[in-house]
Parts: sequence; structure tokens; C-alpha cells
Amino acid sequence: MENDYGMPTAPIVTARFADYVERDRRSHGMALRFTYPPYPVGWVPRETLKGYIQGNDPVTGVPLVEEIDNALTRPLSENEKTFKAQIRPERERLLEPDTEENLHRLFMENGWTDGLPIVLPTEERVAEMLTGTDHAPDEHVGMMSVTTHEERLKYTVEKCAVIAVMAGCRPEHFPVILALGESGRPSLPSSTTSFASMMVVNGPVRNEIGMNSGLGALSPVNYANSVIGRAWTLMSINFGDMRPGATFTASTGTTINYNNMCCAENEEQSPWKPFHVRKGYKKEESTVSLFRGWNVLTQGIGPSQRMLDVIKSLGGPFGGAFTFLTDPLVAKSLKNDEGYNDPMKLSEWLVKNTEFQFKDPERLNFIVVGGEMNPMWVTTDFSHFQTVVIDPWIPKAGIKKDARPLRMPEPVACAEGTCGIRL
Amino acid sequence: MDAKNTKMAVLDPVGQPSGIFGRRLNADSPMFAIHDPTYQPRDTAENLSSLKMAERLDTLEGKTLYLVGTGFAGAREFLEELQNWFSKNRPGVKTVLKNKASSMFTDEPELWEEIKKNGDAVVFGVGG
Repeated sequence: MENDYGMPTAPIVTARFADYVERDRRSHGMALRFTYPPYPVGWVPRETLKGYIQGNDPVTGVPLVEEIDNALTRPLSENEKTFKAQIRPERERLLEPDTEENLHRLFMENGWTDGLPIVLPTEERVAEMLTGTDHAPDEHVGMMSVTTHEERLKYTVEKCAVIAVMAGCRPEHFPVILALGESGRPSLPSSTTSFASMMVVNGPVRNEIGMNSGLGALSPVNYANSVIGRAWTLMSINFGDMRPGATFTASTGTTINYNNMCCAENEEQSPWKPFHVRKGYKKEESTVSLFRGWNVLTQGIGPSQRMLDVIKSLGGPFGGAFTFLTDPLVAKSLKNDEGYNDPMKLSEWLVKNTEFQFKDPERLNFIVVGGEMNPMWVTTDFSHFQTVVIDPWIPKAGIKKDARPLRMPEPVACAEGTCGIRL
Repeated sequence: MDAKNTKMAVLDPVGQPSGIFGRRLNADSPMFAIHDPTYQPRDTAENLSSLKMAERLDTLEGKTLYLVGTGFAGAREFLEELQNWFSKNRPGVKTVLKNKASSMFTDEPELWEEIKKNGDAVVFGVGG
């Protein structure tokens, strides 16, 4: 309004976000005159709002309405007329050398980690990680910000390798990490409402790198699932410039942010076409699909009618968007007992029987995950936002595997009648 | 020197500045585009630095002040109370209350044109 329409403007933002918008002024090069009422203004009585308006701005101590008047009538100062956007300085490639102990402390105290120990990204380790792709270390991969408005930070293949090392990855995981980087999507968006993210891998790469799509696929029982999911968060912290209270404002947060529900789809046991094929990709392509939402409900059990009852009880940030993670037993039952040969038919039925704002079956998705221990499903209010193809990041010679790839114990199978009992 | 005191070099994990900022979404952006980086990075620091603030009014008396609700929780109620305050304490200031039609993130050129045509100043609120 100020620049495009020549209209004096008084923006009002609650005092809780004064620091946030002050930074926004600097990054956007306009010295907007904010007025700050106390926080919160949502879900408070009218009398409280009246009190805010009759009272002082808690940041400046000036009466609130006087401040609004000043914002619109006080002549612009020279500083306000010539305010410039501020760009950050370029960063050095290497940090100052120090002892291992001090460097671990440095990473932790600078907020460059998720609070768990990391693998320090030495040049040797990063060089080894770079063998996991044919792409040049200095190739631009993408830009990211956990906010919607602040400066995007850009990153190269080498920067992604730094993140992969920190997360504990091996070169075999690196193509998936690069695909996550290519997405430009942070797993930790700067919303006060505590978003969670989810990533699901499809295609041949799942088994090549030992991802888990079966028993306990969402639990910490698989190396690849653990480190790849963690890498997305470390990427969001360091490339997305995630700083708690400053750029990251999730009020309660969520433990899902640690690993982002990283898993693969159980294509082998699914009676349906793989998720990525249903989204238009080829079966032989490897992809990573990214989701975001608020709520995850486990303990779902029962036929499609029960699914309908559950989603009717949920709201979610994107009204009418849901992603079900179904054990293969559920998917088989939906197909064999209820006749849903294509999960889109089930999506259409569910959408038809709900009253959500957006009635689009494409926004109601099914992914088959699990070890056939129990016919249960997980309900999420997650939207599918993006699918990225992993293959362009895979070396021409194929996935770079260690001579003896690192793997956690496989779930004990039932094939020989032992059914989970270790003999 | 023992291993504990040996210094080692490691790479900086933080991304580099791009000079690209997100700013606002077009009115015709797809639903939930705010969550899609494709629609965000569109402004450079150079472009942003050329933006200018408008000249201020000499007074609000006799002027038309648009109060525009952003869509965040409590915004509408807050601006209604602000409008009540002006009616009671500054009757010489005409206020027009509007709420954004879509969301807090999208551009709404038709509303901006209306304000430009009929108004003298704008209060936007409430963020956060």
C-alpha cells in the first residue's frame, strides 16, 4: 500500500511478534511504523480488546491510538525515506579449526543441530559423502526459508553433503538428501501452530538403501529412515534459518519434527498401485513425497465407515485434506472386502460424505505402510504438497554403497512359523 | 599433542545469503501456495530497497481511514473495537471496516484499488 498505492499505512502486530516484524523491516527495506497491542488478540473477551485500545503499546509505552495517529501523520524522517534492505554477508566455507569437543559445543550452542549429537562435517567426511552423487560440489541445489518472507538461504551439493554427514548418513543416502534439498521445502515452517512434516519414499531406491516400509516403519528401528528424516530437519535448521522464537514460532512444537515420519511405502505388500504412480510418476522412478499438517491419530481400526467417522472429528489446517497410512492388511481388506480397487474411489466416497470447505478427492491420500501385524491405520490431516524425483541425483554407476552396507536388524519374519519369537 | 587437543577443520553448515526474499502471493495463486516455495521467492534486496513509504497526512480529521482485517484470529473483533473507539472519541475521522476476502497471505488488488479511490490511509491488523 505504501509504495504501490501511495497510501500511508499503520500496520498493527501483537507485541509478541515485535522482534519478528522489526527484522522484517530490515530485510524488506521499509521502515514501516508498527503499533503493538498486547498479545494475544485472538480468543479474548471484547473488554480485553477495549482495554488494549485504550491502553499503551507495551513495546513503546505510547498510548496505542496515539501511536496509530503518529504512524499516519508524523512526517517521514530521512532514515525512513532512505531505508535499505539488508543482505547478510557471505559465509566462509570452513569454520575456525578447533578441538572435537569444542566444535561439538559450537554446533550445539549455535543452534545448528537438533539437540542430538552429530557427526562433525570434516572435509574428509564431506568428500566421501560427495561420492554419493555425480553432481559437482559447487552446483546450486536450491533455496530455503522456514519463514514465508525472510531471505532465502541458498545451498550447493557440498552444503547438502555437510548436512548429510551431520545427520549420520552414508553416501548411499545422499541422492535422497539432495532431492529433499531440491524441494526447497523446510520441514519446520514458521507457524505458531506447530506443523509436522512427513516424507515418504517410493520406487527402487527404497530397497537399494535399506529403507523400512514394513514393521515399525515409523519407529526408530531402521538406519536409513532415521538419518534421512533427521537430515531434512538439519537442513531446515541450517538452510531455512530456523531459530526458535525468532524465525521458528511453533508454540508447543511436535516430536515429529525430529524425524518427519520418514518411511518408504510398502509397495510389495500393497494391493494398490504405489503412491507415486498414482501421482503420475513411473513405477521404476524413485521419488520422495512431502506432506505437512498438524494432527496424527494412531489406533485407527475398522472399515471405511470408521475412517469417515474419524475424519469428521478432525479439522486440520487445510480443511478437507487427509493422508491415511494404512497397514497392508487394511489396504487388502478395503480392496477385497469393500471393493476399493483404487484408493481414489475411497477418497471420492469419503469426500462425498463430509462437509469440509474443500471437497477434492485428490487431497485425501492413502499410503501403505506397515508389517501386517494388525489391520490398523494412522490418520493424519496432512496435505501432499510435493513429490521430487530422486533419480537425477543418483550416480550413473548406481547407488554408491559401502562394501558392507550398514543395516539394523531386520524384523523377525513369520515365514517359518516362528511369528516373532526368536529361536 | 593428544587426540583430545588436536584441532580439526569442519565445514560451515549454514546456507549462504541469496538476496531473494518472499513478499506476497498473487491473488490468483493456487490454494495453499504460501506453503509452496515455488511461489515465494520473488523479490530481490535491490528491488525491495527501491520501495518508498507514502507521504504522511497532516491530520486524520476529515479523512477516511480504512481498517483492514488480515484474517488472523481476533483481527476482526479488534478492528471493530478500534472503529468503536474512533466513532466515540474521534468522530471527525470516517472509518471503513473491511476484512480480507481470502487469507492473510494473498494479494487483493481490488480492495487496494477501492482504498486508493475512497480512502486516505489504512490500518492493517492484527498480525500474530
